[in-house]
Amino acid sequence: MTETSIVDPLLGLAERIVRLAKECGSDEVEATVSYGREFSVDVRQGQIESLVEAGSRVLSFRVIKDMKTAHANSSDLQEETVQRLIRNAVSRTALGSRDECAGLPPLSSERVDIPPLRLFDPEVAKLGAAQKIKLALETERIALEDKRITNSHGASFITNEVTTVLAASNGFLGTYDQTFCSLSVGLQAGETDNKVEDYWVSVDRFFKNLESPETVAKKAVVRTVRQLKPRKIRTQTVPVVFEPGMTDWLVGFLFACISAVAVYQKTTFLAGRLGERIGNKNITVIDDGLMPGRLGSRPFDSEGVPCRKTTVFDRGVLLQFLCNTYAGRKLKLPTTGNSDGTGIGPNNFYLLPGNASPQEIIASTERGLLLTRTIGHGLNPVTGDISRGAFGLWVEGGEIAYPVSEVTIAGNLEQILSRVEMVGNDLDFRAPVCGPTIKIGALTVAGE
Amino acid sequence: MIAFEDHFQMADTGRRKALELALSRGGDFAEIYAEYRVYSFINMEEDIIKETAESISLGFGVRVISGEKTGYGYTNDLSFDSIRKAALTAASIADSEKTAFLPDFRRAPRSEDRYPLTRPAHQASLQDKINLVRRAYLSCQKSDAKIKKVKALFQDHVQYVFVANSEGWAAEDARPQVKLVCTAVAEKDKRKEFGFSGGGGRVGLEYFGQTFSPERIGREAAEEALLLLEAVEAPAGEMPVVLAPGHAGVLVHEAVGHLLEADFNPKKTSIFWDKLGQKVGSPLLTIYDDPTLPSFRGSYNIDDEGTPPEKTLLIDRGVVHSFLQDRLSARLMGRPLTGHARRQDYTCIPIPRMSNTYVDRGQDDPEDILKSVAKGIYAEKFEGGQVEDSGKFTFSISAGYLIEEGRLTAPIKQATLIGTNIDILQKIERVGADLSFGLQTGTCGKEGQEVPVTDGCPTIKISRMTVGGQS
Repeated sequence: MTETSIVDPLLGLAERIVRLAKECGSDEVEATVSYGREFSVDVRQGQIESLVEAGSRVLSFRVIKDMKTAHANSSDLQEETVQRLIRNAVSRTALGSRDECAGLPPLSSERVDIPPLRLFDPEVAKLGAAQKIKLALETERIALEDKRITNSHGASFITNEVTTVLAASNGFLGTYDQTFCSLSVGLQAGETDNKVEDYWVSVDRFFKNLESPETVAKKAVVRTVRQLKPRKIRTQTVPVVFEPGMTDWLVGFLFACISAVAVYQKTTFLAGRLGERIGNKNITVIDDGLMPGRLGSRPFDSEGVPCRKTTVFDRGVLLQFLCNTYAGRKLKLPTTGNSDGTGIGPNNFYLLPGNASPQEIIASTERGLLLTRTIGHGLNPVTGDISRGAFGLWVEGGEIAYPVSEVTIAGNLEQILSRVEMVGNDLDFRAPVCGPTIKIGALTVAGE
Repeated sequence: MIAFEDHFQMADTGRRKALELALSRGGDFAEIYAEYRVYSFINMEEDIIKETAESISLGFGVRVISGEKTGYGYTNDLSFDSIRKAALTAASIADSEKTAFLPDFRRAPRSEDRYPLTRPAHQASLQDKINLVRRAYLSCQKSDAKIKKVKALFQDHVQYVFVANSEGWAAEDARPQVKLVCTAVAEKDKRKEFGFSGGGGRVGLEYFGQTFSPERIGREAAEEALLLLEAVEAPAGEMPVVLAPGHAGVLVHEAVGHLLEADFNPKKTSIFWDKLGQKVGSPLLTIYDDPTLPSFRGSYNIDDEGTPPEKTLLIDRGVVHSFLQDRLSARLMGRPLTGHARRQDYTCIPIPRMSNTYVDRGQDDPEDILKSVAKGIYAEKFEGGQVEDSGKFTFSISAGYLIEEGRLTAPIKQATLIGTNIDILQKIERVGADLSFGLQTGTCGKEGQEVPVTDGCPTIKISRMTVGGQS
């Protein structure tokens, strides 16, 4: 764990902000101070391209006076600046409006035991620069050994160590340390005007769990070369199989639609629909902040509320919106430990896996598209409408036939959730918001 | 620039010392970048001023270039010890016996100020800014009974930057930025739609009196949401696409601009890397990137390496004329600097970026362009796009119309357009004489760095493009 010489000054600053803001007349106050250490190296064509290393501290706080809220944050931690920001924030509350839902959560009697969450890997902190550079070089070298690869976007190795401290006027004081490391490589294949590209990244909190350079390189190669010589297809409505990385963004869009802030603001099509059947029986979605070692785990949220496990959809039925204290009060729902900064964020938010292997799912598809990549925006939470540029592999007779490019997929999230015919068994928590392979019964694919 | 010196006290000798340390391992080039930025933020929703915020970003970055390698360290603790550590981190990229010679600092030549303003937002009272937010909010809310939810946001900041490098150049800038935006949700028969409008730029509060009133911002957000309530599903398949003047500049930003940012070109990953001097598009197509447009959101007096920027001709009547350069790419390509090095903040290495990118006006009457389309799409507003180096790009229409027999008919729901840049550029069939720019609210993301930009274009007809609707 991080040395006390690092944590103590952060704790001291957070507690001082709380005390000073109270002295300036604020009714409630909550302060977060974090210290991040970053290392990243990019290599390309066997040479180091860039190397960044730094440590930085930031603070943020909110004060509440007469049910009026003001926020501040700063990377300037000098005493004089901190005092000025506090005075300004307290006086700014006078210009705000009274809001009956404003305020901190009550102090919880529960505390999550931090070590079993396994958020911090001491080995990440100990890795030397030379070893990190070597891993990135090795990954790119292996990828470039494949003759089908014609160019490289380069490989990267990144580590982050973050110490977070939270103090609040309700008596909360907590701190935790976490680590992240990642190894990635981006590749191109094909000739000048007919290039295809893709990448692979492995991310984990623990260095020993990171995929090896061989694995990262090979996955990136396979993902890139399988797109070579794409064909255009005609506009049609067909079954579409989402690879796990594609399910990830679909689940991410679903998160945006069940966030309680969007719900009380009525900017989601799911507002007011608690208890309704939205998807079919294959849709069970969980938010869980307590999974040991996972990327989205944490002992408490940004308001000091203990994290927990929440079932959001149970076999298609919408059971729960994810809340912070404010949005929860707005909707008369309890907070779910999803406060993140001034908004709401996911912990580990995932679609529950099923029994089918990805191979079985593809084999079950007579004619359709295996979706491997999308680009662009085109997600509208107000309507649930989806429209994105897409790349994939055409499936014919249960087998992959040829790559497809320059198509778009379009549909509606509610419709899609009611058409999920199969759910894969390949959920691997590579990202905090994630899902396994899924098969959607029908989706419009626009081409020629 | 007295204000900056107040916030960021470091004498010339300190700067020299940091640069000397940065070159202590024999790097070819070293640079220090200091930044101090103060933001304010106001948010109104549910008829109340819900939130105000003040934010300060202060930090110092040191960069060293050695051959094609870059080392970077930064700190927000401005003790000389931390600065020394950042400088030595950056220095570690180099490994040679070379001893550096540091010339005396001299100020880079500066143009006239590109931010002519009379009421700087960072000096205005919070109450004045709250009034602007309320006006936009109320105007949106009262424009129609079907408007069920309104949100109005105001943001301003002033960013002081100082850059000095081992060639002896020193430069500084104080960049204001203001943004007032309004979003609306309209509801009818259980159907909900979303609308957006906003304005701003490197302007003061006078802008909202003269150029773009809060009332108009509110009204436009409401109008877009109301229009979409009547929208039909967009068609799917290949068809002619007419880009409306203004917002549709984002297509050029995605399809052309990013691939002419020169950091990709020396690596030969961009489809344009070998296209300098070659014809890639229709002779009707001329594209500029211009960081010198007064008051524009994407403009600056110096770039984030201290280089005075230039209006840069990217595509000249269909031929690739130049790339957007930073110091490293310009050296590797043997091309002149264009002043397009930008960074999100002091934690980031500068990279070549767009500023204000636009298609130059053509000859055609926009009415005639519409009349030439029997069946197609009129793309009016966009929520963004994405491109990859291979030239594949998408952009998402948030509001548009069907074109039937040369006329705009039903409004359409959101749809994505996809294409390959060289293919689409060759299919530009008509270019109107009606150049305008999109909203002064846009941000472009690349390699995790967000910077303010604008895009513009006249009415443009693309003969065929894949439209991804549902019907």
